[in-house]
Amino acid sequence: MLTMRDVRKVYRTELIETHALSDFSLHVRPGEFVAVMGPSGSGKTTFLNVAGLLDTFEGGTYLLDGQDVSRLNDDQMSRIRNQKIGFVFQSFNLIPDLDVFDNVDVPLRYRGLPAGERKDRIERALGLIGLSSRLRHLPSQLSGGQQQRVAIARVLAGDPRLILADEPTGNLDSLMTREILDLMEEINGRGTTIVMVTHSPECAARAHRQIHLLDGKVVDFDAVPTLAREEPVAAAR
Amino acid sequence: MLLYHLRIAFKSLRRSLGFSAVVVGGIALGIGVASLFATIRHALAKDPIPQKSGVLYNVRLDNWDPAKPHPNKAGIPPQVTFRDMTEIMKSDIPVHQAGMFKANLYVFPEPGSGRPTRTLIRMCFADFFPMFDAPFQYGSGWDRQADQGPEPVIVLGEEMNDKLFGGQNSVGKTVRIEDREFRVVGVLKPWRPSIKFYDITQQQLQAPEQVFMPLGWLRPMQIRTSGNSDGWKSPPQPGFEGVLVSETTWLQMWVELPDEAARQRYVDFLGAYVAEQKKQGRFPRPLRVEVTRLMTLMDEQGVTPPELTAMVVVSLLFLAVCALNLTGLLLAKFLARAPEIGVRRALGASRKHVFLQHVVECELVGVLGGALGILLSLAAVGFANGWVKALFNRSDLIQFDATMAGYALGLSLLAGLVAGVYPAWRVCRIPPAVHLKLQ
Repeated sequence: MLTMRDVRKVYRTELIETHALSDFSLHVRPGEFVAVMGPSGSGKTTFLNVAGLLDTFEGGTYLLDGQDVSRLNDDQMSRIRNQKIGFVFQSFNLIPDLDVFDNVDVPLRYRGLPAGERKDRIERALGLIGLSSRLRHLPSQLSGGQQQRVAIARVLAGDPRLILADEPTGNLDSLMTREILDLMEEINGRGTTIVMVTHSPECAARAHRQIHLLDGKVVDFDAVPTLAREEPVAAAR
Repeated sequence: MLLYHLRIAFKSLRRSLGFSAVVVGGIALGIGVASLFATIRHALAKDPIPQKSGVLYNVRLDNWDPAKPHPNKAGIPPQVTFRDMTEIMKSDIPVHQAGMFKANLYVFPEPGSGRPTRTLIRMCFADFFPMFDAPFQYGSGWDRQADQGPEPVIVLGEEMNDKLFGGQNSVGKTVRIEDREFRVVGVLKPWRPSIKFYDITQQQLQAPEQVFMPLGWLRPMQIRTSGNSDGWKSPPQPGFEGVLVSETTWLQMWVELPDEAARQRYVDFLGAYVAEQKKQGRFPRPLRVEVTRLMTLMDEQGVTPPELTAMVVVSLLFLAVCALNLTGLLLAKFLARAPEIGVRRALGASRKHVFLQHVVECELVGVLGGALGILLSLAAVGFANGWVKALFNRSDLIQFDATMAGYALGLSLLAGLVAGVYPAWRVCRIPPAVHLKLQ
């Protein structure tokens, strides 16, 4: 699903060069649930930015769902983000002016789907996460857990192949954390690949695999790509 | 997608009402000022008789002093002499033709219903009415035979008919002017061309006269012009007859020529006439006749003062300054929204989507500002018309018509674009990752 080989990312200022990712290689199979861990400054943010096509990289290759995304223009990257990737953020990142329905609607609007199909998808996604009764609530009228569930509904409505989650339970209490992790496991169970950055061992334990980053590199040996075999996790199990 | 962006823009404006009021107010002020000056200029510059201006020609003949040209910009008298008018009216080339001038005579109301008043009267020929499409409410103009008599007939404007006859159909009734009785043959509908185009030698902003009388009455009643007259030579004899045979120019001469061929034939006719007069010792300057289209004449005579055009330019610059000042405010607002833009980018918005979203918001600001500006402009136009009424006794000169509404709307959209295109471009270039805090 996601294969990076020798990817490099360098942040430059007038005085200093910071190698955020150096010869970074990782392979995530379709349907896998991977937890990414590491200390601050280890490159987790940069990895997620690059993986989500939110940032460019300078060397190496990156295959997303079999497609080389190294030289795509802005329109092409936006289309891939819209159609193949779903983001779940630590701070939920709902748009405060928009109600629940409209927040879930955002990625569907950019996909250009007709109104009827968008409505069906939104209602189905909100039904899955149990918020059908809150369609016209603003984010400020929801609890943190409910906001994160709306964010997940936003992802579900788009039906992406890959979900990139950034500390999705970082702002939630333990009860809500369990609810969200259950939900993510359920989504992963339907075949959606999930890459989740987390500091929490409890969260990481829910993943099929944990990888650790240090100084912009993967330190686990089993994360190195095996390009010859691209088998879905479910099939491998 | 456009409607979606419009909805987002409305939400954005509602989110910060105070800020939105400042931005919309800035555009409104600029649009109001720019629209006002453009409307005033439009009132003067627009074609006062668009359905016919292409076939209406003003006639000028250079009978001026051999030592120096006429002192106006064109170097030719703007009017013609009575004797020349009388002679060239004999041509059968024009479809319609009329010499004319403005007189100031006493009009007497019905006995016991008021005092006689000095009234501006247009002395003209029967062709005046069909040539200038003067609209009739009752009756019609007089016929050409009435010009010859002359017959004691008049046409009233609707205001004079209101004043003398309470707005009733007065055709067949009589009106005393000076010491003679005249029969009303027609009453005009309200007729308010933007300028008094048939006489732009003086006070062209005045409304048309309210009484029209056959020009032939000037001799029996010894009626003199109350408009401009230009002369370079003393009359050959004293008294009223001396004026009629003098080289003094005081009549406006208009002809209707259906096409360029007719115009050329008429120019040739005038050239032949002047050449003949030269043999009699008149027209000492090089032969020059001018047969000029109405709109060309308006440009030439400076009906639209250049100062007014300059004010329109200055008001547009003012609008540009307003718009550019708002650029900074909009940039600050948009940059403060960077996290939301980061989210939208992550969810699939391209730079084009983000750019369009913000341009739509700027255009919404422009349109709202434009609507408010139009209201300001309408109020200012009302004030300006009050001022014009005090000067020229008409309150309808400056009109905010559909053309000006389109102009104001176009300016609003342009102002919104000028104010917003840079902030929108800047905000769409923000790298999405910076504001997402993915860690």
